[in-house]
Amino acid sequence: MSEPFLPWWITAIALAVLTLGFYLLLKRPLGVSGSWARVVEWKNDQRLNEEEAPFLNQPKLFADALMAATITEFGEAEVARFMESRHKNKPKVDLKSVTEVATRTHWSLHLIFLLSLIIGGYIGAVYKGGFELQSTLGETHVALFGTGFAGFMTLLIGGMLVGFGTQFGGGCTSGHGLSGVSRLVPASLIATGSFFAAAILFSFAIRYLF
Amino acid sequence: MQNTSIKQYFLHALLGIAMGLILSLGGLADFKQVHELFLLQNIPMLLVFAGAIGLSMIGFFTLIKDRNRATKKYNSGTIPGSIMFGVGWAMTGACPSIALVQLGEGQLAALVTIVGIISGIWIYRKIAAPSFQLDTGVCGE
Repeated sequence: MSEPFLPWWITAIALAVLTLGFYLLLKRPLGVSGSWARVVEWKNDQRLNEEEAPFLNQPKLFADALMAATITEFGEAEVARFMESRHKNKPKVDLKSVTEVATRTHWSLHLIFLLSLIIGGYIGAVYKGGFELQSTLGETHVALFGTGFAGFMTLLIGGMLVGFGTQFGGGCTSGHGLSGVSRLVPASLIATGSFFAAAILFSFAIRYLF
Repeated sequence: MQNTSIKQYFLHALLGIAMGLILSLGGLADFKQVHELFLLQNIPMLLVFAGAIGLSMIGFFTLIKDRNRATKKYNSGTIPGSIMFGVGWAMTGACPSIALVQLGEGQLAALVTIVGIISGIWIYRKIAAPSFQLDTGVCGE
């Protein structure tokens, strides 16, 4: 049966170009579970924006606030002692690098990205020969998990495992798999191995045991 | 500080559409394809992953100097979390990106998966993360 999908090597090249392109254009690695987290926690983002607002482009103000907080935490004597020893060694302190408020991608950008994935899927379906609304994920899924309540619960619980698991594990197929493994990030190598192994074992189990 | 220029919105939209389109045309949003991948029967799909990762690796190590900007940190959640994700992926055929692509393709069942994903993230962020207190290597996470 011929598949209406791209040859594997074209998809592979496209995904690699996407991964590298994302990194170069947006100056951060691709990671969809991270985008989801930022959208779900958008209120947290708004709060952080408000807290940061007075310090934008005000490195001296930020440095003073940091110093005040340090003194509150450790006490004047300890801080004075530390500053004294630093002056003896005369390190070069780059005020800008110390006080630059970290650039963070606004949650609305993450939201746009996620919504655009839907649009991309739509265009893909149209290109493959017609967009069609379907109530199931196809014959294979129905054969394994059923329709109605059983099918519904499979998707709900499965979705929760994906949502919870990607946060708990620190990333998903794009974050750990594409961006992490390709940069040989140890956590990503372990994570990717783990989620593939789990998916494979589970699939064998439901196919051949139940 | 957050850069929210028109250019940023455009780039995010463009990359999102590109990714959605590639995943759709590549067959990654098709449950049958993904299930066969996990049964180690779908060699082309295996090659998609191997090829994508391999080529990205070559790209990162030859073209990009500061490739270790923002890497993830291993903690005690890495393995259990990834195992949970793997099982969920096998159950739904979806990872966080694919669920959206499935929806875009008209697979309405993906809406249930998405509700599940959002719930799972919410439970983790509001309940589990504060009690686990794992070191993710990022301030404020």
